[in-house]
Order: sequence, then structure tokens, then C-alpha cells
Amino acid sequence: MASLSPKRMDVEQAREDLCRRTLSDIRRPLDRLIYLASMRDYNTGIYHHDGLASRFTSEVACEALADCHREAFRELVLCPLDELVSQLDAYRSSTHTSPREFLTAWGRLEPYRVAVPVQADPLSADFLFSNFKIALAILESQMDSRPAGLAA
Amino acid sequence: MLVAAFGAIGRVIFWFPGPSKISIQGGSIVIQLIFFLLIGAALLSSLVFLGRRGGARAQGDPRALVEARKALDALQAGLLPEELVHRIFAKEDLSYVVSASAPKRVHDLFIAERKKIALSWIDQVRSQVSNLRRFHTDAARSYAQIGLRTEFQLACHFASLLVACRALSAAIYLGGPYAAPQMVDATAAAAARICAISEQSLAFLNPVQLKPFASGSLPS
Repeated sequence: MASLSPKRMDVEQAREDLCRRTLSDIRRPLDRLIYLASMRDYNTGIYHHDGLASRFTSEVACEALADCHREAFRELVLCPLDELVSQLDAYRSSTHTSPREFLTAWGRLEPYRVAVPVQADPLSADFLFSNFKIALAILESQMDSRPAGLAA
Repeated sequence: MLVAAFGAIGRVIFWFPGPSKISIQGGSIVIQLIFFLLIGAALLSSLVFLGRRGGARAQGDPRALVEARKALDALQAGLLPEELVHRIFAKEDLSYVVSASAPKRVHDLFIAERKKIALSWIDQVRSQVSNLRRFHTDAARSYAQIGLRTEFQLACHFASLLVACRALSAAIYLGGPYAAPQMVDATAAAAARICAISEQSLAFLNPVQLKPFASGSLPS
């Protein structure tokens, strides 16, 4: 790491700080992806994190968040389908919405499309979208096969 | 120059006795006229062809280099990482869908989606490899320290890889995403080899890793 520029070193420090204080509590890559995407301004593509910006600078905080976002995306792209299905189910449970409502909303709105990093490779992004589509179909079929009382 | 060329051609044609010595009127004049028109059309097409060639990029155009670098980056970072290729064609996912006792529609959806992604992967690999080939055909010799033998080997690699991409595409289109796993590995490996060779040609575009100044190395 001796060849890193001072700015890059700041980004690395900010990244470590972010991982230690915030992301360590968000274990699933899917949750991290959604959390980090929510830190991004949709109009400018710039990430904001007041705490991190106060400890470093806004620019360094933005780069650190973008790095972590890319990493979460990569983890999710490379995760097997069964893991994605269980992550999606766990995420659904954490939102306290009914399975039917969740699956309908995710199937129609496809919110995962806006959760990918800007610089994501198009094929990887398409692959992840495709996996989400399949995972949603699997969850839906599992819900249909459950007794009516348990599905709610 | 063109006028002189026309004049010379005209003189040759007028000197040429023509198909029929019997009649020098009527038919022969029409034949000569058609002949002139054909030559005129041929010269015009040559001019158009030369004009279009003139509009093409000159050898060593920096845009060609940048596009080749982009193609190489897209292949190395986006399309050829082993873990991504493995993930796209992983049979474990199919086993999971089967074992999850999902209905037929889910199974069909899975196969259709994976097929779509697999075909898209091949298509993008082929497209980026074609970009690299274009670069090597047009400009590599202006820049690269690459020998004739390597160039020939590279040309063979390009040709075989593009044919392999077409064959793999057809196999997956007809037989589904898991139809030709060995061909997938072979194609990815061949594309990686081409990237490694192209990397040599484009190495000078990489940012130079400058060593930081040692203390006291700057003049006071």
C-alpha cells in the first residue's frame, strides 16, 4: 500500500471506518447493497454520509461509499441462487411487509434495478436482475405451496 | 490527370478497329458510346471507393487505441473473470431449482433467463474480440513492438475464437445454457489468451508507476 496516494489512503481509511461502524451490522450483501444505494442521490449519483464526511471530507466519503457499494454488488452477483433466495426472503421479513405484498411490489416495480452502482458492468447487472427475477418466482412458488395460514 | 487518362483511353478505343469493320456507322458508334459509359462508371466507382477510404481512420489514430483499450478492459474486468463465467454457467443453480420442487413455469423461466444471459455473454465477448481484431488489423503495427510471427499467431487466434463464439452461440441457442460447458471454458481461455497478447500491444497506454521522490532527491 506504499504506492497509494494520500487521497486514496484517506478513502481506504474512510472505507475501513464505514465497514467497522456501520456495515458490520449489515451482514447480508443484499441489505448492504440496498443501504448503500439509498445513500446515493439519484439526481447526481453522489453518495452522502454526514458522519463519514465530518470525519474525512465529502469527496472521500463519497468514494468510500461507492467502493463499498461496488463490493456489495460484486458479492451479490457472485452468490449462488439459493443464497440469493434466502437473502431476499430474509430481507422481506426485515421489512415487516406481507409476502404477497412484497413479491407483487418487487415483481412490478423491480426496485433492484436502481440499486446497482453506476459503473457496474452491464452483463453483471443483467445477470443480477435475471437472478432477482428467478428468486422472486421461486419465493412466489414457495408461498403458493404453503398452507394459506402460514403464507400470510 | 483524369482528363489525360480519359484522353488516352479514348485514343486507344478510337484506334481499336472495333468488332465490325464492315460498318463504321450506327452500331459501332453506339458500341463505343456504351464502352465509354462503362469506363466512366468504372472510374467514378474507383473515385468513390478512394474517397471513402480517405475518410477512414489513419493508421495510428489515437481513437483506435482508446477503443482497443476499452475493449480489453471490458473483456478482462467485465466478461472474462473466471468466477463470473463460472457463476453464469453454474449447474448448482439448476440443481437448486430442481431440488426446490419449483413448478414447471419457474424451471422454464430459469432456463430461459440463463440462456438469455449466456447468449448475451457470448455476444459481448465476440463483439469486444472483434474490436480488438480491428485494432490489430488497422493500427497495431504503427505502435506495437510485436513481431510478424506473433501477429500471425494472433490472427489465427482471432479467427478461431470468432468461429468458436459462433459455434457456442449456436449450441446454446439450440441446446440451452448447459449444452456445451467445455466449449464455454475453451472460449473463455482463448479470449483470455488474446487479451494477454493484446495487453503487450497496449501496455504503453497503462499509467506509468512513478516511484515517489526519495527525500533529498529534489534539487534544493
